[in-house]
This record gives sequence, structure tokens and C-alpha cells, in this order.
Amino acid sequence: MTAPATSFWRIAGMTYLQYANRAAGSVRAALKEPLKSKLAAEGQFSYKASVWEGGVQGPKVEITSLEQAGKAV
Amino acid sequence: MLSRSAMLARKVLPRSLARTFSTEAATAEATSVTLNLSVPYESIYNGAAVDSVIIPGTEGEYGITVNHVPYVAQMKPGVLQVLFEGADPEKYFVAGGFAVTHANSVTDVVCVEAVKLDDIDPSAVTSNYEAAKSAYGAATAGSVEQAEAMIDMEVNKAMGLAIGLTLA
Repeated sequence: MTAPATSFWRIAGMTYLQYANRAAGSVRAALKEPLKSKLAAEGQFSYKASVWEGGVQGPKVEITSLEQAGKAV
Repeated sequence: MLSRSAMLARKVLPRSLARTFSTEAATAEATSVTLNLSVPYESIYNGAAVDSVIIPGTEGEYGITVNHVPYVAQMKPGVLQVLFEGADPEKYFVAGGFAVTHANSVTDVVCVEAVKLDDIDPSAVTSNYEAAKSAYGAATAGSVEQAEAMIDMEVNKAMGLAIGLTLA
């Protein structure tokens, strides 16, 4: 049986960033207490983005996950 | 063929000061691996002179010593070891990332998360592994949920291996 040409996560539709951040989240979930609370917020982020069309700024949307970030807002 | 000025320089100046073509210039040899290990929120090692680094590449574990051939590798979830002369290795569990070794023995290792093995909780690893295993079984084949469960399983299994647990 030959190995697949690409990774299982790529085949399922995930990007490398989603894979790497999920793996980091798994590590954080298995830490001992003082460090676990300290790093709990590391995987979280949020920013607002909008699409410009024809020189006009569209409505701002808050992005809080990589899945959302990958879409064209 | 050297230029006249270079040939003159060779006669007059000591050999080390004679002008040579750039391809002939000897590259300065590094004396140790210069390690830059960083995660997004912290620079764990910044320009540290180390003996060698053992990196968990996706295609196998490999070690970088001084004057190693330049190398780029993706890392799998596993243990990164930093070896200093005459001291115990410093071990970090990395969640994946990349390791680049340059010609001058500067090694850049970047990862999303790197923790010391002592900070890993064995009971959490076991329970997270079991939870991921059942999530994997419950998810539809080829879905993102199954891939996420697979990632959790892979990482917890690697953490278990690093701290001495065997997870099936």
C-alpha cells in the first residue's frame, strides 16, 4: 500500500495553519495547572476585516477563527 | 588568471592578505550551533551557542551539529533536544513547526507551542487521547472533525511517548 500523496488533514480540507494551531491547542489542553491557565488564551485571536469593492469599504466582520479567516470575509 | 595587482599583492603581502577571487575566499567556520528557538509569544533561545540540537522531523529525527549541511525540515509533534557540552539535554515538546539550518550553523526552529516535558500532565494526556479516539470513531470518514480528532490523537500519543506513557 503506497503512502498518500498528501497529509490526512489536507485531504480533509484543512490548511497547514489550522493543523499546526490545532496541534498546539492539543498540547495546551494537556498541561499542568499554572502553565495551562497562563497559556490558555494563546490560541485565541480576533480582528475585524472588511472587503473593499469599487473603492467602497464593505461592512466590518469580526474574525475569530482560522476557518473564518480563510474565507473572503 | 589573476590580475596584475593581485599577482603583485601575492609577492608583496603575506598570503593571507593577498587579494583573491571571491570564490577562493575561505568561509569562516562556525564554532558552535547558534540556536534560535521561538514560539509566537516567547523567544526560548535567542542566539544561544549550543553543542547540538536534535529535531523531530516529519521524515525522521535528526541532529544538527556545528558545520552541518544546510537543512530545512518540517517538524512533527515530538521532542526537541538541545544539547550543551557536559550538561543534561534540555527537552521541549514541540507541537510541530519548521527547523532551518543555515550554512553558518545558525539554526532557526519555529513552532506554535513548545513546552518542557515536566509541564505535561500524564492523566490529562491519557484522558484527552481516549476522548480523541472516541471522537475519531464517531466522526464521518474524511470530515474535518475526523481530521481534528486524528490530530488530537497524534499529538497526545506523541506527548505520551515523550513522558513515558504508552497509548494504544
